[in-house]
Order: sequence, then structure tokens, then C-alpha cells
Amino acid sequence: MTATSPPPGAGQPAVRPRPGSAVTTGGVGGAVVVVGARVGLWLGVQLGLAGLLILTGVADTAGQALDEAAGWWMVYGALVDLGTLGVIIWLLGRDGRSYRGLLGPPTTAWQLALGAAGVLAATVPAVVFSGELTSAIYGQDAIAPMFAVVDLPPWASVLSVLVVPLVAELAEPVAYLGVVLPRLERRLGRSWLAAAIVVALWAAEHALYPLLTSPGGGLDWGFAAYRVGSVLPFLAAWTAAYYALGRRLLPIMVARWVLNAGTAAALALGLIA
Amino acid sequence: MASSVEGSTQNRVLYRLTWLALVLSLGHHLDHLIRGNAVGWPVTDEVNAFTYSLVVYPIIATGLVLYHTGRVGPGFWALVSGGGAVFVAAVHFGPAAVEPPELIVDHYDRPILGWLVFGWLVAFVTVLAVTCLYETRLWAQQRRAGRAARPAAGAGNTR
Repeated sequence: MTATSPPPGAGQPAVRPRPGSAVTTGGVGGAVVVVGARVGLWLGVQLGLAGLLILTGVADTAGQALDEAAGWWMVYGALVDLGTLGVIIWLLGRDGRSYRGLLGPPTTAWQLALGAAGVLAATVPAVVFSGELTSAIYGQDAIAPMFAVVDLPPWASVLSVLVVPLVAELAEPVAYLGVVLPRLERRLGRSWLAAAIVVALWAAEHALYPLLTSPGGGLDWGFAAYRVGSVLPFLAAWTAAYYALGRRLLPIMVARWVLNAGTAAALALGLIA
Repeated sequence: MASSVEGSTQNRVLYRLTWLALVLSLGHHLDHLIRGNAVGWPVTDEVNAFTYSLVVYPIIATGLVLYHTGRVGPGFWALVSGGGAVFVAAVHFGPAAVEPPELIVDHYDRPILGWLVFGWLVAFVTVLAVTCLYETRLWAQQRRAGRAARPAAGAGNTR
């Protein structure tokens, strides 16, 4: 169903490849590379930053350094997404495809507006579920820990509102829905199974950021599990919406940008405190 | 030929989504009956949101018959799914919710059961909203195809 076709040129077969074929989606190895790169980048960036904090004497222990670094996750997330974009572009170059092709069929302005509004509406149950889960685990009216730990100077807050959400939309949904999903579908032959795996992988990735320590020392695995559980309905809704919209990614990217930039703005303005 | 295959696939998906929403709706009404804290007529004498929500079953049954005979299209289902999503979300999630999530989660002896039925409700509203998106897309597609077919039919008419 992807709307891509190989560039015309000498040596190209005259018959247009079947949508979803290896020529249009690439192999499952590319999916492993993309997911592996994101996991490696999240761990690498956080551990690297924590190491830097210890070396410069800002933090004394590894746990303290990780917690200090966590305050910046809404900024250094851009490094992970830029790295992901680099991997996607490398894969596209290798397979002779375009970035636009990953975004699905052409989307008119009204399709984009209506689709994004629909995706936002479909996200409401996930927002409610996530809020209930936060209240159940961290107490009534508690702020989710990943937002409570954010501690940024004004210039970094501006970056987290204006730049980071934009880079995230160009990389994250494109990686999972534009690159990983079609490759898994082709490999497994079952869209529902591929979609379930993508949602599970995408949710599991959220356990990696920010890395927080528990009061008793060591990583806070309870928080990691909460992260996965709270984000799961969002990812399931967006993946379902991706299919419902005829594999158009742009409305999902716009809706996610509204949510993520809105959350970053609310944090920067002190509306979530 | 290709569009007829696409059309039958779209029909199959639409039917499957309708049946899925129906099963999720039945499960949610069953949860109401088990909890017993938010029920109305015909279980009690009070006519409330529970009572009004039961109208969805005759609507779905009528819709299935009319859709099968070609009297209604995806637009009908988009309105049913969208209306259902708004109604259930307003009753359970809205600022003036008559049955907020706490009434579900905290009402079961075992918390895991409360979370299970709450998760079911979240899945139900999400499926309704996503189904509405899908049906709206089909509706728009059908209207575009209809508009494109009209001038073509007109061009062949020499009168």
C-alpha cells in the first residue's frame, strides 16, 4: 500500500513492482537497524551525558548523574531523532527510495486537517487512560515523573518547544510506521501481527528514556514499566489510525506534533507543575 | 477490476470493524450489569444514559441490513461510529462525565479486574474513533468516485 515506486531509469524493470514487495519496502534487516539504532542512541546519549557529568564533577555517583541528565531528556531526544533520521536516509539511499515515499499516498490540505483532528480525537481515550494510570501509581493529581524531572533553562525550553517536537515527528513515526511496519508486514504476511509487534517495540523503547533511579539505588524499573503501560494506548491508537487513513502518515505526524509541542509548551510555561 | 477488489476489501474491513465495535459495546454493557452502579431501565426503573445507549443495537442491526442492500453507505456508519465515540467519551471521560473512570476502576474487588474493564472501555472508544476515521475516508472516496463518474456518464450522453 506504500505509494512509492522506484525512480525511472536505465536498467529498471518495465513492470511496476507490486506494492509491499521487497523492492518498495526493503528487507526486515532495515527494520532491525532502525530499532537497534534508536535503542543504542537512547542508551548512548544518556550514559554519555551522565559520564560527562561525573567527569566534570557536576555529579558524584552514576545514579545522581543519570537523574541530572534526565532533566534534559526533552532536549537530547533531538539527538536520538537526528540519528534516526540519518539511519532512515542511509536506508533510503541504499534502496533508491525517497523520504516522501515513506509518508504514504498524497495528502490534500483538508485530508491533513480532518485526519489530524480525527487522530487527536482518537487519542483522547489514551490521554484519559494515561492520566488514570499516573494517579493510580503516583497519587491523585500527581505529575508523570518524566515531566516532573524536566528542569531546563529558558533557551533550552524554547528549543524543546520549537525544534525538538518537529525533529521527533520527522523521525519517530516515520521510523516505526514508515520503515519498520511495512518491512515486518512483508516478512510476516500478516498486517495485524506486524502492527502488534511494532506497537510493542515502540512502547518498549519508551522504557529507555528518561533513565531514572529508584530511591533505593539502581534503575527505577517500576517507572520503566509505567512508561510502557502509559504510552501503549497512544501507540495502538496511532497505528490503527495509520491504517484507517490509508497509510497516510502526515495527519498522525501533525496530531503528534500538536500533543508533544503542547506538552513541552505547558511545561515551559509552568502550566504543569 | 482492481477497484472492485479494493471495494470488497473495504467492505470486509468495514463489516469487521462494525462487529468488533458491537462486541466491545456488548462487553461494556456487561460490565455495567456486573458492577450494577450505573444501570437504568430495563434493569431498574430509572431512564438514564445506560438506557439511551441501548438504542445502538437496533441502529446497528438496521444499519447492517440497509448497508447490505446498498441503501446506506460508509457515511451512515461514520455518523454512527463518531456519534457513539462522542457519546461514550462524554459519559465516561468528559469534564461533566456522569460515570468517570474511578467509578469503574474502583468498583471491582480485584483492582486488576477494574483495570481490565477500564482498558476495555478505552479500547472501545478508540475503536469507535478509528472506525469513524476509516468510514469517513471511504465516504469521501465514494463521493469523489461518484463525482468523477458523473461527467464521464454525461460525456457519453449525446442528447
